Amino acid sequence: MRWWAAVELVERILQEGARLADEVEVYLSSGSSIAARLQRREIHYAAGSRHQGLSIRVIHKGCIGASGTQNPDQWRECLGAAVAGAKLATSQPWNGLPDPADLDQVPLNFDPDLRPEPESTRELLLGMIEGTAAYPVEITSGSAEISVYSEILANSHGLNYTSRGSNVSAAIETIREQSTGYEFDNSWKSDLDPLMIGEKAAELASTSTGGKEIATGEYNVVLSPLAFSQLLGAVFIPALSGRNVHAGRSRLANLLGQQVTDPGLSILDDPFHQRGLSATRWDAEGTTTDVLPYVKEGVLQMFAYDIKNGSRYGKKSTGSAVRAGPGGAPSIGTHNIRLEGPRTDVLEERAIFIHDVVGAHTANPLTGDFSVELSNASVFEGGVREYPIRKAMLSGNVFSMLEEIGGLSRQERVIGSFILPDIRLKNQRIIGNE
Amino acid sequence: MPEARYFDIRHVTGEVTHVDLDNTVVESAGTSFYDRAVIRALGPDGWGILTVDHFRRPSGKKFEELIEEALSLASLTRQKVTLSEVTGGALPVPSMTEDPRSVPIGEKKDLLAGIEKAARVPGIVSTRAGYIERYEDVRFEDSSGNEYAYATCRSGFSVMAVAGRNGDMQMGYEREHSLRGLNLRHRQDLGREAGERALSLLDARAAKGGTMHAVLDPELAGVFAHEAVGHAGEGDLVLEGGSVLAGKIGEGIGSPLLTIVDDPSLPEFGFEPVDAEGSRVGRTEIIRKGVVNAYLHSRETLAAIGHGKAGNARAMPGEPPLVRMSNTYIENGDSSLDEILAECRSGILLKGSRGGQVDPGRGVFQFNAEYGYLIGDGELGSMVRDVSLSGEILQTLHSITLCAGDRAMHQGYCGKGGQSVPVSDGAPHMLLKNAVVGGSGTG
Repeated sequence: MRWWAAVELVERILQEGARLADEVEVYLSSGSSIAARLQRREIHYAAGSRHQGLSIRVIHKGCIGASGTQNPDQWRECLGAAVAGAKLATSQPWNGLPDPADLDQVPLNFDPDLRPEPESTRELLLGMIEGTAAYPVEITSGSAEISVYSEILANSHGLNYTSRGSNVSAAIETIREQSTGYEFDNSWKSDLDPLMIGEKAAELASTSTGGKEIATGEYNVVLSPLAFSQLLGAVFIPALSGRNVHAGRSRLANLLGQQVTDPGLSILDDPFHQRGLSATRWDAEGTTTDVLPYVKEGVLQMFAYDIKNGSRYGKKSTGSAVRAGPGGAPSIGTHNIRLEGPRTDVLEERAIFIHDVVGAHTANPLTGDFSVELSNASVFEGGVREYPIRKAMLSGNVFSMLEEIGGLSRQERVIGSFILPDIRLKNQRIIGNE
Repeated sequence: MPEARYFDIRHVTGEVTHVDLDNTVVESAGTSFYDRAVIRALGPDGWGILTVDHFRRPSGKKFEELIEEALSLASLTRQKVTLSEVTGGALPVPSMTEDPRSVPIGEKKDLLAGIEKAARVPGIVSTRAGYIERYEDVRFEDSSGNEYAYATCRSGFSVMAVAGRNGDMQMGYEREHSLRGLNLRHRQDLGREAGERALSLLDARAAKGGTMHAVLDPELAGVFAHEAVGHAGEGDLVLEGGSVLAGKIGEGIGSPLLTIVDDPSLPEFGFEPVDAEGSRVGRTEIIRKGVVNAYLHSRETLAAIGHGKAGNARAMPGEPPLVRMSNTYIENGDSSLDEILAECRSGILLKGSRGGQVDPGRGVFQFNAEYGYLIGDGELGSMVRDVSLSGEILQTLHSITLCAGDRAMHQGYCGKGGQSVPVSDGAPHMLLKNAVVGGSGTG
């Protein structure tokens, strides 16, 4: 769809929607991508994609309805479905969609040099293959993808924000004997280092061979950003949602102003982080975003709200809406979660380093209890790997594991909507096979 | 530009209807629409794939241009892809007892509200219930002149209850999905079970991890079949060298009691009338009496590595087909649950599933039970919570020493390569000796 046609469509929907409901919100997106996939060392396929999406939300007398479609020509049906949805919804207090603010509309995560071209994905794949040569491994699969998109968010209060974005991702999987290594990276700008990704994947598989058994017991562990992001994402982040807090589904519900983590640890959402993949000046509802200090020096400061839940519980939206609801409707989420705390050489003292875990999504989201299998775990002493662990489980509780930390690494990496360091944790239970 | 050796188009349109009840409030309800097509073209070597939203099939010159656009992408590949010859033909979609689309959404909301209400037994502090209905209209054509068109409607509900006491919280969860029609009527029993389980779990202890005998209920044993064997049997992983089952055809890797099957033709939640590249679907015995018998295949993986038949290529709308499981199960044995408990003597009974994951290359899997009971002297004892199980595929299958005759199937969604497809898993109760059980309990 051409730009002027998109602008005209948005206007038509707002006009038509205003006849049917108190307020209307329209989100229109379109984009394209090129992806290529490796099978062993050969490119298995290349795929191009053209996508578009329309999401309409209406609010009428406190009742909210939403619908989405990939066919913008179908907008009348989509609007009708949103209105029908609102008729079913229970009426709630509603503070109103945001008015326009004077926001800089220069995109925060768009690189005009990043173009979805087949040759660029091929170069990424070839770079990763070359990187794996540093270790004696076999490649099983890999992928590279480049995408660009543009979006319009508009509402019946006159708000009309436009944005563009870009993304590049690359991943590769390797195996040596029966040890696997998976590494990936993604960015909104063309700064990926495919050689490094390939080398890291090969190193993971290679250094995990010949693993030893370990006895069941309490150990100091270091979780990589990848392992830590999965446990945080499965348990801690949902507990910060104002919806879960007020609906009786968050263990953090009654702990505002209280110590919930190690006093050295702060957890915040930084929507302006330069490397963040979800950097934005406004959220999915058009609310102006800000840095949100959920936990400051161990003390729980706040919860996340969108307009609906803010209105319902007498709070302001924290600019935390993301497009994750049915039909692309906004719901509470996070942008770029990062940590602050004491930076140390986390592997200087003896610890088990855990690169990845298997099964983090099976954690109990309510209580935080979990038991996961370790992937690419090794015992380190003085910053040096002593030996890899063949097979073991980590069992614990996500909330209590944060109560006493042993420091954060100086380096960080981007994992989806997280920007995390390695984290050292004390006295965690490992179930071994020795 | 060279001509396409083969092309196919899979166009899926449809609607998703949902109802979300949160503590008796209708949080959201309504319908969304989707419309996506995948065009695959096989060039001189490998695949070029084009995904288009809001697809309208062109004809004549425009159609040729579309195939050429997909084909142009294939110029990136140098991998010589061969497709096995397969039998086509679509099965009829199983009939529905009550077409969900014929029931007004307001009535569905009321039925779901009844289930949520049943979960609100005294002591429950929070409830949530969701209904989801997905109607898919699929059209497939390929360059060999095969054409299929069919529609499916999958629907189902979930209900969650949270019990709270003195700052402690526990959760009970039930779900049921179906391909066979609306399943919301007269299901308050599942709401009540979710509520009562959440309350019971307040008094349950965290399981103590370690090595012990484990009895798996049909739901969890089904997840075991899926995670521990099914994924490693997927032909693409075998082809890539990313499965511990590669090169094991004809090799005994488990107890002779064990036969593990995948069958997309079964009228269960993972049913497909025809697979996503037009192949006829049917039963594959991945493990037959403990011996690796076959892999699951697409046309491409069958041609590359053999052992099995095509018919397991599946895709989300707008995504290229991958080799996937469908309805995966362990065949019944001839023991009873009482015999299994007696044989176990001391250990743990694991019930329900919170999902699982596998690293098929390493051959290590993990999955989590919703709850369990300690077993002592062959009798069920106290309830435990938050218990998981991990193991190694090639060792664990030898440790299955008894299977009951009470197989049941459970529905879910399986993720792979960024795609989620409906599946069902099932098994009878079974005894797994010397299992590695994870739990944070210490006493």
